[in-house]
Amino acid sequence: MTAPAAVEARALVKEFEKGRRTLWQRARGRPDTRTRFRAVDGIDLTVESGEIFGLLGPNGAGKTTTMRMISTLLEPTEGSIRVLGIDVAKEPRKVRARLGAMLSGERSLYWKLTATENLEYFAALYHVPPKETRARVARSLAAVKLTDRADDYVERFSTGMRQRLALARALLPDPPLIILDEPTVGLDPQSSRDLRDRVRDLRAQGRTILLSTHYMEEADQLCDRVAIIDHGKIVALDSPTALKRTIRAEEIVRLDIGVSGDGASIVERLSRAGTVARSERHNGTLSLTVHCASARELVPAAFDAAHAAGATVQHVEVVPVTLEDVFLSLTGRQLRE
Amino acid sequence: MSLIAGDLRAFLASGLKELRILRRYPLNFVGGIFWAALLPAVYVLMGRAYSGGSDPRAVAAFAERSGTTEVAGFVFVGYAMYMWLSSVLWGPGTSLRREQIQGSLEATFVSPVSRLVPLFGPGVSALIPMLFSFLVTFVSLWLLFGFVPPLGSAIPVLVIVAVALPAMYAIGTLFAAGVLRYGEIGPVVQIVRGTFVLACGITFPVAMLPGWAQAGAAALPPTYIVSDIRAAVLQSVPVSALAGDLFITIALTIVISIMAIALFRVLEASARRSGMLGRY
Repeated sequence: MTAPAAVEARALVKEFEKGRRTLWQRARGRPDTRTRFRAVDGIDLTVESGEIFGLLGPNGAGKTTTMRMISTLLEPTEGSIRVLGIDVAKEPRKVRARLGAMLSGERSLYWKLTATENLEYFAALYHVPPKETRARVARSLAAVKLTDRADDYVERFSTGMRQRLALARALLPDPPLIILDEPTVGLDPQSSRDLRDRVRDLRAQGRTILLSTHYMEEADQLCDRVAIIDHGKIVALDSPTALKRTIRAEEIVRLDIGVSGDGASIVERLSRAGTVARSERHNGTLSLTVHCASARELVPAAFDAAHAAGATVQHVEVVPVTLEDVFLSLTGRQLRE
Repeated sequence: MSLIAGDLRAFLASGLKELRILRRYPLNFVGGIFWAALLPAVYVLMGRAYSGGSDPRAVAAFAERSGTTEVAGFVFVGYAMYMWLSSVLWGPGTSLRREQIQGSLEATFVSPVSRLVPLFGPGVSALIPMLFSFLVTFVSLWLLFGFVPPLGSAIPVLVIVAVALPAMYAIGTLFAAGVLRYGEIGPVVQIVRGTFVLACGITFPVAMLPGWAQAGAAALPPTYIVSDIRAAVLQSVPVSALAGDLFITIALTIVISIMAIALFRVLEASARRSGMLGRY
């Protein structure tokens, strides 16, 4: 018999009401004018056991809402979720006992308690037997490299250390599945790298990690598979390498060209040399992202096109294909927009 | 570990956590001394002024309505009750709200512990400020007004407090549940606290209320609790004579507890649909 998938979501929908209906309006029998919007719109996904699975998308794409439904904090409007084979709607407590979650990051800790006091409290909430608590707390602190700060108040920690402590808390129940919502948001590059290393360690221990992020480098470097999510829908799902292969280009050229007109002739000429994935004009600068087979051929063509239009090339950058480009090609927008 | 044993341990851990946090703000206890000692003294002095400096006729009129001539004791016991009431009305609700704002409520709710633990658990820590304010009350009575409660009243008071604890808890959690769905419940708590102060005989005898208000007061556990503590401390009434009141308190506790748990379940389900758990 094969082990169940770590997470299996089918036709998942979450609708929220927009606007307010006051008690006064209710009492007077006024019609309900609230509108509903779909934060998650029919998501299907399967997270296999032992993988790092990423939900990548811009802010407001529906990543956090999906994570909250999987971790039983939100009730789906439609659809079903099974975590480690257990139905989230029918047995939420059983699901929570097998789940380590880091959802609100550093905010979710008690800053007036020490790291050890925080973990001892959460160990009790996770029903860790009293005899095992001390060892489990020590192991969790060691896993995130915070043993030497065990007795310090959390208020004295840096943001990165608090994030790591929140991760340590997620490890307390020794869970097979860990959910991390934007784990490196607000961290400096060193702390981010540090946390990613800890996540890799967890995968090496055989745990499944489901993480959401809007950092494409994070998804690219960490994840075995990535679901790109936008407006509540999954627009692509595959390994980072396979997703990048969907861009029919070897290289990406980013250009800033100073133009006086709309630059349409430049775009038109460059379209013959490659695929113009993005074209924006702002304060007299035309910013282009062009997918091409060879930058060696495209860059001279760009200079020629600019020269012919009486424009000046201000900046040229040749970069490898990233998940940002995949998102751009799928949605016509950038992740940070 | 069984679910119940696990939840019980989590319940105690939740109280311990609150106590640890409380201990790290020691100035709150200084505030507790002020509220428990000086404010009731103001009412006692006011009462003395209105009664012409404790004119025997005025004191006799007071005794006719309250059952005691000990005005300072009457006011101080009432005020200790007010402090307790305030801490249970604000305590669990404020604690849940604080957890919601700082983001730890979701971390708690994503654990397998019963949802009733974060609702009831923090109330354990309210016991310490309550015992502290009781202590300050009795010391103030002795130092400021020379009234020493009889030693024999200690056991009846402990019995009354033990019966009153679940009742006070239930009242606090009834309002705390509202935090999950509506966030701020401060204005409601203010109104309710004001109603209790007015109806339950905190600073004056319930006999002063109009008949219909006295009937309403009879449905509120603090009315019985404050009246019984006064009877024990000021009139040395034995517990056996208070058994009727204590049974009524227990019955009211059961009703309020059922209401609190049912309301909590409804509002928690609503918060899970609307996403209010994580909002602040």
